[in-house]
Amino acid sequence: MLAALAAGALALSACGGGSDDAGSGSAEESGLNLVSEGSLTVCSDIPYPPFEFEENGEYTGFDMDIMKEIASGLDLELAVQDVEFNGLQSGAVLAARQCDIGASAVTITEERKANLAFSDPYYDSLQSLLVPADSDIASIDDLAGKQVGVQQGTTGETYATENAPEAEIVQFPSDAEMYAAIQAGNVDALLQDLPVNLGHTEDGSFTIAEEFKTDEQYGFIMAKEGSDELVAAVNEQLTALRDNGKYQEIYDSYFAQ
Amino acid sequence: MKRSTRRRLIQGALYAVFAAVVLLIVLAADWAKIRSNFFDLDVAAASFPEIVTIAAKNTIVYTAIAFLGGLLLGLVLALMKLSPVLPYRWLATGYIELFRGLPALLVIFAFAYAVPIAFQWHPPGGNAGAGLIALIIVSSAYIAETIRAGIEAVPKGQVEAARSLGMNSAWTMVTVVLPQAFRIITPPLTNELVILIKDTSLLFIAGMAIGDRELTTFSRDALTSQANATPLVVAAAMYLIITLPLTQLVAKLERHNKRGR
Repeated sequence: MLAALAAGALALSACGGGSDDAGSGSAEESGLNLVSEGSLTVCSDIPYPPFEFEENGEYTGFDMDIMKEIASGLDLELAVQDVEFNGLQSGAVLAARQCDIGASAVTITEERKANLAFSDPYYDSLQSLLVPADSDIASIDDLAGKQVGVQQGTTGETYATENAPEAEIVQFPSDAEMYAAIQAGNVDALLQDLPVNLGHTEDGSFTIAEEFKTDEQYGFIMAKEGSDELVAAVNEQLTALRDNGKYQEIYDSYFAQ
Repeated sequence: MKRSTRRRLIQGALYAVFAAVVLLIVLAADWAKIRSNFFDLDVAAASFPEIVTIAAKNTIVYTAIAFLGGLLLGLVLALMKLSPVLPYRWLATGYIELFRGLPALLVIFAFAYAVPIAFQWHPPGGNAGAGLIALIIVSSAYIAETIRAGIEAVPKGQVEAARSLGMNSAWTMVTVVLPQAFRIITPPLTNELVILIKDTSLLFIAGMAIGDRELTTFSRDALTSQANATPLVVAAAMYLIITLPLTQLVAKLERHNKRGR
């Protein structure tokens, strides 16, 4: 018993020492200042189909597939953590070094740039208004006095607040609750990113009333400080993916009409 | 070594360890970062006065509704559970076991989303109303058990004495047993109240309109717009400002009750 314990302790301390060495060693090599050396730790607010969702016990989606390619391009393992969008887009999760990079359909905005480092844009996004198929809401101008569901802290919320001032804005923690709320009739419409709303039109009960060109683009996010090398490395990988056609392949598998 | 010397040495060593741990924490923490991320005075000031007039007010209103509702429903359930009529007892037992066993968050979700879908019926008061009904249901399950224990803790002689004075059983329950029971269960009821204050933070799952936000939703919102965690600290302080005087008040009440006995 004692021997086993001692052996266990030895093994543990050996592991600890080993990983320490490996850590400092490859940190010098890669210079990426990773949270956990050898792997690219990705934070994402899951589910948000088609960008990130779980399938057969694995996280997948547009963001996740791109991340997989970037990680393998950097010779790193991919580790995904499910976090809340609010903490992610405010920079708190990254500042606390919970992960190296955030891939969660984050729109690049000037405000967010104050607390985050963005990669090059990797996706052009539209906002949109989802309503029940039999609704008489045809555009954002019909929203006065209606309840509009938005996700807290998103550009959709900002757009709704600025462009539908007479609507009653109802905040939800994520798309899962928003979709349940419009199904339950708790809200009259949802204002959020187009691809996500498109996913909700598939069974025919809901329809996109209007799309809004907001010139928004998604970027991967990294900590404001100490991630210059990582940003450069991720951008390099993104360019490579666009050049070798891999990006288009992934894009088509999720957004081909 | 004299025993007293040894004791003093051990005590001294313990103090030294304590001081060393405190010193280590103080030295290890990045205070400048903590101050700018969690204690930014400008950000804190920006959350006033709405954090008081909207968020804290809603937290208190929600708690009061959930607690009073839970108290009434809990009393009915407790009496049902003590009833000689078997189906009432089964019903109360089943209800208590069900809602005490489910996380409040799931019950709120069910009332905000599942009930409207299933019955085409929207609880009054919108999403906050649906969440509050769920909180009343959850808290009544706990409170029922507390009240039942209180009723059972009232000595049998009290009932016998009241009945021998010619009171009927309902009158005995209302005028003799229940006042004593509530006196006995003041501490656990306070506990339930404090838990409810914090459980109102779960209402966000139902979806919140701007004016309905309670402390937690409000501070999460501010965290987003200010990109700084200071609003969370302000909200934490507000919770303490609400709970600490409350528990002090109840402790005072309890001392008063003890003297009255």
